[in-house]
Amino acid sequence: MKYHLPEARVIGQQLTGQGIYLLNILAPEIADLAQPGQFVNIRSTRQLDPLLRRPLSICGVDRNEGLIRLWYQVVGKGTQLMCELLPGETLDMIGPLGRGFKADLTGKKAGLIGGGMGIAPLLFLGGELAKSNSVMAFFGGRNIEQLPKQGFMPKIPCQFATEDGTAGYKGLVTDLFAKWLEQESPDMLYACGPKGMLVQVVRLARQYGIPLQVSLEAVMACGVGACLGCTCAKSSKDEEGWLKACQDGPVFWEQEVDL
Amino acid sequence: MSVAKPDLSVEIAGIKMKNPVMTASGTFGFGEAYEDFFALAGLGAVVVKGVTPEPRKGNTMPRLVETTAGLLNSIGLENPGVETVIKKYLPRLADAGVPVIVNIAGNTVEDYCSVAYRLSSCSVVKGLEVNISCPNVKAGGIAFGSRPESAAEVVNAVRNHTPLPVIVKLSPNVTDIAEMAAAVEAAGADAISLINTLLGMAIDIRTRRPKLGNIMGGLSGPAVKPVAVRMVWQVARRVKIPVIGMGGILTAEDALEFILAGATAVAIGTGQFVNPRCCMDIVEGIKKYCETNEIAKITALCGAAWKEENNAGC
Ligand SMILES: Cc1cc2nc3c(=O)[nH]c(=O)nc-3n(C[C@H](O)[C@H](O)[C@H](O)COP(=O)(O)OP(=O)(O)OC[C@H]3O[C@@H](n4cnc5c(N)ncnc54)[C@H](O)[C@@H]3O)c2cc1C
Ligand SMILES: Cc1cc2nc3c(=O)[nH]c(=O)nc-3n(C[C@H](O)[C@H](O)[C@H](O)COP(=O)(O)O)c2cc1C
Ligand code: FES
Repeated sequence: MKYHLPEARVIGQQLTGQGIYLLNILAPEIADLAQPGQFVNIRSTRQLDPLLRRPLSICGVDRNEGLIRLWYQVVGKGTQLMCELLPGETLDMIGPLGRGFKADLTGKKAGLIGGGMGIAPLLFLGGELAKSNSVMAFFGGRNIEQLPKQGFMPKIPCQFATEDGTAGYKGLVTDLFAKWLEQESPDMLYACGPKGMLVQVVRLARQYGIPLQVSLEAVMACGVGACLGCTCAKSSKDEEGWLKACQDGPVFWEQEVDL
Repeated sequence: MSVAKPDLSVEIAGIKMKNPVMTASGTFGFGEAYEDFFALAGLGAVVVKGVTPEPRKGNTMPRLVETTAGLLNSIGLENPGVETVIKKYLPRLADAGVPVIVNIAGNTVEDYCSVAYRLSSCSVVKGLEVNISCPNVKAGGIAFGSRPESAAEVVNAVRNHTPLPVIVKLSPNVTDIAEMAAAVEAAGADAISLINTLLGMAIDIRTRRPKLGNIMGGLSGPAVKPVAVRMVWQVARRVKIPVIGMGGILTAEDALEFILAGATAVAIGTGQFVNPRCCMDIVEGIKKYCETNEIAKITALCGAAWKEENNAGC
């Protein structure tokens, strides 16, 4: 079930790093149903520019309070308008959308690899997985500003990497992950981030034979499977059909898609 | 005084619709995408994605670019092919309580005819919309829609391969839209729908490359509305068959403009992406307008902007 909340109320918004915001929205229907990896499609103006909704991953939920949390970076018109929203103001939202991570594990060891804003859905996932599994997260960004902060991080062990060395390991998050894989044998891997990072993670997962789920991004118009704008390449050429990031994804098994 | 229950029903080439609001092809999937937001039975008709004889992969990514109050798309008629559509997608529309119109496309006249013929034996299908105006495929599509002679040839051929009502969807990318309309009317079209998207493009100044994978795409949304209203006006004045107006409709006010310009019905495309209840909100809005303005039948408004006798009554 997808809900359309034309006037979802902003509960609070805070800056967590340069140009990056954490937004809490009252959306009980969506909070109830949301699974890690799913997203919402948001319009934060009634004007005609920007016209379309903007997809953002659900970064966390508080089901008791009926809240959903988004963590996003301002990159253009839509996100700029969003970051100007004050508590009590409303935005127009559809959700929860898409297929989330398959995370019905117990007593297993899971590895999470996130780069940039791709960390957002993994924060939700990490918290859920940690309830009954051992989880290790690897989060990377360009600098310390881009990393998640105490307060909205789930309580999971985590290694950070920054390209400029302002926090954690100086270098790529995939380097940290590769070193970990040399010693550990996780049962399941989850990744979300820039394409270059995903390609490296896929290579490593295949090398060690560990199942991997990836969350992909695509430009979207409808977010509900109507426009075919977000099609992803299927890895197997002989199969009939296409994959829509908004409906079949955004989370896919690594072997389903051609990065 | 206001009219208690205005009659919103319209008829297009024998297809009876409870109101004049339809979905625009390619923006509503095969009717399943918005089912959580409203029941299909509330619509006048459902027009599904363009269907070709064979499955089509469509164009390379990216296929969407937002422009000021508009959307450029280069989907390229991605669809699973007519057989899969008949087997997998149409049956679930059988009990939806709404007339289903299938948009058809192809590379050759034979393609159009074979899809039309194949769909004619499906009881779910109440009409065909012949897309001779897709700007996103190299062969066919717009090639047929840009010259009156070739448009007439396709329409005539399709007409001879189906007993179903034939709606012809015109491209705005022509010099004289009324001439195109007259040509397809003469060739046997039962109705005309317009506009398909306007050919456009956008360039990324950072990468200095076109933003769409396919370089050019079709522009839709509020940005094209004045062009669409003008074309509906020109076409409706020229032909006797009913006109379905579309292009940038987001609200009931937009829809009413098209009806006043001469459209019997309207279709909503990009508006659905903006507001998932767009079609239903428009039905409601049209009803309210009729109530407040004492319009007993919506058909009285069709072309009222140029039919003087009707204008006098308003
Ligand atoms: C399923 C999904 C989940 C997402 N989750 C998050 C999230 O949790 N946090 C977050 O910060 N962002 C997320 N994004 C990306 C986010 O949707 C875009 O950053 C946003 O739409 C940009 O809107 P804008 O109007 O601010 O920028 P625009 O004005 O539309 O674009 C500004 C710049 O951003 C780039 N851009 C636009 N859309 C995207 C996109 N979809 N992916 C990458 N770059 C884009 C454009 O190329 C352009 O250079 C997600 C995207 C998808 C598809
Ligand atoms: C994503 C997308 C896909 C479309 N696919 C088709 C199609 O398959 N066949 C067709 O005749 N028109 C297609 N169209 C055109 C629409 O049906 C409609 O004519 C056009 O978008 C103008 O209306 P709008 O401004 O309300 O969207 C498509 C439009 C969009 C935006
Ligand atoms: S965004 Fe429209 S089909 Fe995925």
